[in-house]
Amino acid sequence: MLDTLLPILIFAALGLAAIGVVRRVRLWRQGRPSPVPLVKGLASVPRRYLVDLHHVVARDKVMSNTHVATAGGFVAAAVLMVLVHGFGLAEGVLGWVLLAASATMFAGSCFVARRRRNPPARLSKGPWMRLPKSLMAFSLSVFAITLPAVGLLPEDFGSWVLALALSAVLVWGLGEMVFGMAWGGPMKHAFAGALHLAFHRRAERFGEGNRSTGLKALNLDDEDATLGVEKPSDFTWNQLLGFDACVQCGRCEAMCPAFAAGQPLNPKKLIQDMVVGMAGGSDANYAGSPYPGKPVGEHAGTPGGPIVAREGKALVDAETLWSCTTCRACVEECPMMIEHVDAIVDMRRFLTLEHGNTPNKGAEVLDNLIATDNPGGFAPDARMHWAADLELPLLADRGEAEVLLWLGDGAYDMRNQRTLRSLVKVLRAADVDFAVLGNEERDSGDVARRLGDEATFQSLAKRNIATLSKYRFQRIVTCDPHSFHVLGNEYGELGGHYEVRHHSTYIAELYEAGRLHFKPWKGGGVTYHDPCYLGRYNGEYEAPRNVLKALGIEVAEMERSGFRSRCCGGGGGAPITDIPGERRIPDMRMKDVGETGAEVVAVGCPQCTAMLEGVVDATAEVRDIAELVANALTEAPEASVGAARQSSNRPQAVEVA
Amino acid sequence: MRPEAQVDASLEITVLVSVGRHPITGRARRADQDARAVELARGVAGADVRLLHAGGKEADSEPALRGYLGMGFDALTLVEQPEGADALPALADALNEAPPQLVITGERAEQGEGSGLLPYLLAERLGWPVVSGLAAVESVDNGVATLLQALPRGQRRRLKVRLPAIVTVDGAAPAPRQSAYGPARRGHLAAVPGSVTVDEAWASWETQPARKRPKRLKIVKAASARDRFKAAAAKAEGGGGQVLTDVTAEEGAEAILKLLKEEGVLR
Repeated sequence: MLDTLLPILIFAALGLAAIGVVRRVRLWRQGRPSPVPLVKGLASVPRRYLVDLHHVVARDKVMSNTHVATAGGFVAAAVLMVLVHGFGLAEGVLGWVLLAASATMFAGSCFVARRRRNPPARLSKGPWMRLPKSLMAFSLSVFAITLPAVGLLPEDFGSWVLALALSAVLVWGLGEMVFGMAWGGPMKHAFAGALHLAFHRRAERFGEGNRSTGLKALNLDDEDATLGVEKPSDFTWNQLLGFDACVQCGRCEAMCPAFAAGQPLNPKKLIQDMVVGMAGGSDANYAGSPYPGKPVGEHAGTPGGPIVAREGKALVDAETLWSCTTCRACVEECPMMIEHVDAIVDMRRFLTLEHGNTPNKGAEVLDNLIATDNPGGFAPDARMHWAADLELPLLADRGEAEVLLWLGDGAYDMRNQRTLRSLVKVLRAADVDFAVLGNEERDSGDVARRLGDEATFQSLAKRNIATLSKYRFQRIVTCDPHSFHVLGNEYGELGGHYEVRHHSTYIAELYEAGRLHFKPWKGGGVTYHDPCYLGRYNGEYEAPRNVLKALGIEVAEMERSGFRSRCCGGGGGAPITDIPGERRIPDMRMKDVGETGAEVVAVGCPQCTAMLEGVVDATAEVRDIAELVANALTEAPEASVGAARQSSNRPQAVEVA
Repeated sequence: MRPEAQVDASLEITVLVSVGRHPITGRARRADQDARAVELARGVAGADVRLLHAGGKEADSEPALRGYLGMGFDALTLVEQPEGADALPALADALNEAPPQLVITGERAEQGEGSGLLPYLLAERLGWPVVSGLAAVESVDNGVATLLQALPRGQRRRLKVRLPAIVTVDGAAPAPRQSAYGPARRGHLAAVPGSVTVDEAWASWETQPARKRPKRLKIVKAASARDRFKAAAAKAEGGGGQVLTDVTAEEGAEAILKLLKEEGVLR
């Protein structure tokens, strides 16, 4: 009886799944066009899955092994099931391999079930809670129906009642695993995820050591086009596909600083809302943590309807989008390689460029950037006032230099001026041939871009590129990771290609070349806070630590450091839009610092300095790496006097601190 | 985005907008006060708001004018004027041609003469009443507008004025909304021909940047913090002046005439 029933069941499930696939693909194709290499993309899936994706999944060893067993077992079992039971090719080794595959899958699903027993808050419940049972139903029933096929059990084992019961379990398994995959069940992630890997919008992020973190430029030439993303169908089709790949594991939620601070953002919910929007409906069926302070079930949307309503509620509230610090912790954690920050900035672009609704100080900052080229609205010709006594060489006078020292808007900030002065002292101590742009420098456009004002960003960027093209220099060095990121990763698309170094990287190089010498460190414990735009955006985790090591400092690492560093709350214009939460992000970070017992927290970013120094009752002092280095500078020890003497006729370091 | 055009006698408001000048960098921008005037107009329920500018269409003035369009307008009427022309007759003609019920302007322009006289001269020419320093337009009923005028130190005065009228905004009026780039770029600058009157006096003037003069500090001898605060917060008050209540129109007019003669305004 099973012999006739099984092929019917299997091909019926496959047929229904095919219909579901077509429907799902139609949903994605509502998005804007985005050309992708079709064959090359599909061919790269195995490598992207087994290497890049697994690299992220493997951060959780148990879950990684669980997934390998379950998913590997399932893929093998599904293919073999079609061959063995669908086409009746049970002879030889196939049946035995199918037995092994379904057994492996069953073992994996036991671990899935174990994780679901007391699931952490970040995991979505709802349909996901039945997934382990469905996995078991599929693997067990496939295992059982294969036993007679390989001859372990007689063909007519048991009665027709048993066969019918087994078929019922198989129907459940097939329903979840095959039908549900295409019709929006939890297994959707496998189908959408594989295609998402194939047609990812940032193909360049895959591969060893590669990263792709710069925002993509908005085409401003088409006057009639809506700028940014107003409705779900304004995303590119492969962005929509990416949203569908979400497994709702909540790793993003666990890492999101805004979520932890009780601000109304949860990256996982945001992605799910986009899925709701692309299909049309309400978020009532969402079974994970909501946006803090916003109950589930009050928002709804359609593919062609607005995501953010001008008044009232639509799919997402504007403050959810403005809570993001663009720290990329969610993107870094996402095992499905979803690009949350791109989506958020796309929607912010619409709010700023089309609605004119940048909250709080946003409009003022953007107006300042337009009128004065700096966010504070200061006079452009006052940019160098902090360095009136330093006699910094100007590129305008020199025409060329080895190093262009990019000051950033921290030049107007009295706290950051101390960092800049320290950095100048260090560069002079190492005899670096450097110059500054002086008043010719403008804001890099970072804040404007993260606030969604692509027009102002491109205007600033193009003028900066024009200025830079007048001069010759080998590299740009800056103490501002935001400028570093924008100059290095985002100006390229507009025609500016530069070799950019963060000052910690450059100082590390100078030290390795023997051009700097340090006194031994006598202070207390030190921890290091990785700036998002240096670490996750640019992968520089080592150089700052090497510099601290060279200073004789043993860094007491925070629990969340390196690629898991927690944001200071200062990125993405978040201090400007200032969405209220229950806690402040910098307070949480300073608590992390306090837990290490460090007396000093070393930073490498003016934003981090400002945010962390704004913490009341902090247990640690905030020092930029440049300041620590400048304080430790000393003459070359005896052994290398010869080298130092050669350069004795060069300009000497001057005391600036 | 403009409020739905209502056929039945909707309130027509024209806002006079100018090209502003950023106080630090001198870049052209939407003038702060004029933007406030636009915001004030947008806040009047059921009003049909139009923007009117008389002036040149120089390269840097276009983005500034588009800044007003970015506040949610499809079009701005531009009465083109050559450099050195007097905007007053052109504006008066344009307003005469299709008179709105209410004209809102800023207090003074951020560049050019910036005398702040334009609303008054325009009112004189059109024969309309003028009300300065508005904080709000509260309501318009049967051709009478209820206005809230801002006075020093946070005081407010409620006035009723029969329309048509010209009003100017105060710094206490609501801050202008953000100008959005998309609508600003898509909006239409509708150039219309207008009368040109060359300002002959202006041609002979020499302009130079104003010099910031040092301010004389007021020396306050105060015993307590409260006194110092009061002195710091106090506005200079004229010593003279008198408040006339319950007087006839003739008595009032005589008192005003006397004061104007004393002050040398009238001779």
